[in-house]
Amino acid sequence: MNESYKIISSSILFWFSQKKWFVYSIIISIFLLNLTTPVGLTVPAYHSLIILLLVFMLVTFEPIPFPAIALLTLVLQVVLGVAPPNVVASSFMNDAVLFVMGSLMFAIAIVHQGLDIRLAKLIIKIFGRSKRMFLAGLMTISAVLSSFLGEHTVIAIMLPIGLSVIKNIDTQQSDGKNAVLLTLFSIAYGTIIGSIGTPSGGARNVIMINYLQEFSNVHIDYLKWMKHAYPILIIQLIVAYFVLQLTFPSSLNNIKMRGFNKNVGKTDVKKNINHLFSCLIIVGIVSSWFAFNDIYGLGIIALAGALTFMIFGMISWEEINKNTNWGVILLFAATISLGFQINETGASSWLVMKFNELLATLPSNSMNVSWSIMAVLSGLTANFFTSSATVSLIGPMAIELHPTDISFALSSAIASGFSFLTVISSPTAMILYSTGLVSTKMFFRVGILMFCISIIILYLMSQFYWVTL
Amino acid sequence: MYFDYYFVFNVTILLGNTMKILIAIGGREFSKPTLDLGMKIANSFKSSTTIAYVGKKISQFSEKDVSVVHQNLDDRELYRPGIRTLEWAYDFLISKNYIEEKDSNKFNDYLLVDEENSRMKVLLKGQQSDKIDLIMRTGEIIEQLKNEVETNKHDITIIGGGGNKGIHQKLVQFIDSSVFVVKNYSVNKKYRILLPINESKGSDMAIETAINFAKSYKLDVEIVSVPEGKKSIEKVEKILSKTKDKFLKNKIKASTKLISGSAVNSIVNHAKDDSIVILGVSPKNPIMKYFFGSKPLSIAQKCNCPVLITK
Repeated sequence: MNESYKIISSSILFWFSQKKWFVYSIIISIFLLNLTTPVGLTVPAYHSLIILLLVFMLVTFEPIPFPAIALLTLVLQVVLGVAPPNVVASSFMNDAVLFVMGSLMFAIAIVHQGLDIRLAKLIIKIFGRSKRMFLAGLMTISAVLSSFLGEHTVIAIMLPIGLSVIKNIDTQQSDGKNAVLLTLFSIAYGTIIGSIGTPSGGARNVIMINYLQEFSNVHIDYLKWMKHAYPILIIQLIVAYFVLQLTFPSSLNNIKMRGFNKNVGKTDVKKNINHLFSCLIIVGIVSSWFAFNDIYGLGIIALAGALTFMIFGMISWEEINKNTNWGVILLFAATISLGFQINETGASSWLVMKFNELLATLPSNSMNVSWSIMAVLSGLTANFFTSSATVSLIGPMAIELHPTDISFALSSAIASGFSFLTVISSPTAMILYSTGLVSTKMFFRVGILMFCISIIILYLMSQFYWVTL
Repeated sequence: MYFDYYFVFNVTILLGNTMKILIAIGGREFSKPTLDLGMKIANSFKSSTTIAYVGKKISQFSEKDVSVVHQNLDDRELYRPGIRTLEWAYDFLISKNYIEEKDSNKFNDYLLVDEENSRMKVLLKGQQSDKIDLIMRTGEIIEQLKNEVETNKHDITIIGGGGNKGIHQKLVQFIDSSVFVVKNYSVNKKYRILLPINESKGSDMAIETAINFAKSYKLDVEIVSVPEGKKSIEKVEKILSKTKDKFLKNKIKASTKLISGSAVNSIVNHAKDDSIVILGVSPKNPIMKYFFGSKPLSIAQKCNCPVLITK
């Protein structure tokens, strides 16, 4: 056989084996484009739903880079006549996108300051009376910080603390293995649960606030979100503590609370000033989110945080540029833009109409059933597709279900934060998985219980607590 | 120990340059036989060896976050994921005297150097051996090993036999080196080479490789062939006898056997736990191989012993 033919066919096969989901997604999209437009849908609305399906497949299987998916989404919106170029361009950038950008940059700046050892010492000081208290402290501090600063910031700060505590534990023994898992899951669950607490806890929260404002003219400020979400966070945290203690019973004998390297932990005057300044900037930004989010928006304030760190020379642009995931920012911008078009073209109304028609066939058709389906669907989709992208794409449908009742939109955003099932669902889960100490099966096994309990807590709170607000 | 290190076969003369071996390791408990056999081959061929650990593929959503956390772990003098596996490999090499341990080359004095996208090399200070590299790659395993082989022109890729069988098929299909699948290998077993041959070009390469292996390790060789289609038994016997002569000329103990039945099942049934099967790559069209597989691939998947597919 001709050698060059072998090389070429081998290269094409390798490309196909790596990109097969791209090929399948395109074939499915072309097939759907050639079908007759469903009754009740306009052509642009139908095309926007095809792009939605395409994006779901591409983001789930990642056959091409995220920036490529983002650009494809924008190009297809115009080429398939979903919206004119200027409309697509204007929906591409808004406060939610600025928040994603600002919070990622702000997180890098905070992590760069090396506050973890200081934080570890603080946790030991407050919770150091017993090892179990210490783990509860790690979980609580992770949750509180994550609720304001976001998951990716807090896991990056807290994981080194956790790993320093467990670094010499023999994982061959079941007691040691459980101690390792208990420590890591305490931090991870604290971080994941915390991210629902405030709008700045996760991009999905800001995206939903933005959609509510745009589609239903309902405004939710920082404090109002907290009033709805923080009690859920506290209950979840208590439940998670006991779930983990029962799942990973351990004597915790081998945990060393002061396991971090003392040389690394040494501070000098320069470091102290740096840390003090960092804390002041963080407090300033969080306070601004509370006080000025109506005027300046959450995104601009997050950007101001990153800007302050750069102006004071506490982090270089090169460092921020190197560690910022620009691909994710582009992807969020593109999916939010698509979310807007799904709403504008009436595709979300059509989907909701079909959903309600389906509900009507069920023996017990009530608000509770539609709420439950929507919340479980949001939670499950987020676990297999990542939370923020889920909200940016199915958020318009959640609002459309009951445009005047914010409990549907809030529940959808909060349920999307229940990233307990898969490691791809959130940065926290992926970072935990990347340590090699937690398998995907283990994550799911523990997570399924937490996911179900969290949905029940959310339901009970929306039924009995939110109505009192 | 049945492998003999006194006879060092000069591969440089035969191949024209030093052989390069890539040993892919995964979890510690599963990779020991792979590393053990891989290092024996590398040591006897005096080849330069790269021991590679391919870390878990990270979702694009979190790749920067993971990178920041790993950098943070380095700064805190905490091992980043994957390094512990490489440290275990390093300790294993010392325990088997592949590397001489000195105070100046302790693993805890390592430096992890980013060399290119997704590839990091462990620089061991004062390491006397410049023939062993410990590297860590992150991403999809086939893509990473393919990149490694293409960049560093490895001749053999050695990988464990566990895990997803599709990996072995893709490795053989896409990697431009011979692939050695180490399955059910035991240090204390006396092995023999099982060499299935036919008239193909791939068989010629397998014969050359089997001669090198047999000479290096003083292993017995059993040459087998399965007559297929209209091929006369006399013709197959002629090929067997011609091949046997090649081994005898090299003073290697060899026997021949004609086996009947379907090629794959007959060879799989004939191979025992103490066999090292050496096969040539299939000359089939790559597209046909991808979708329908090939005989060497089926044999490698079904045999419960180490299998080397030569290219």
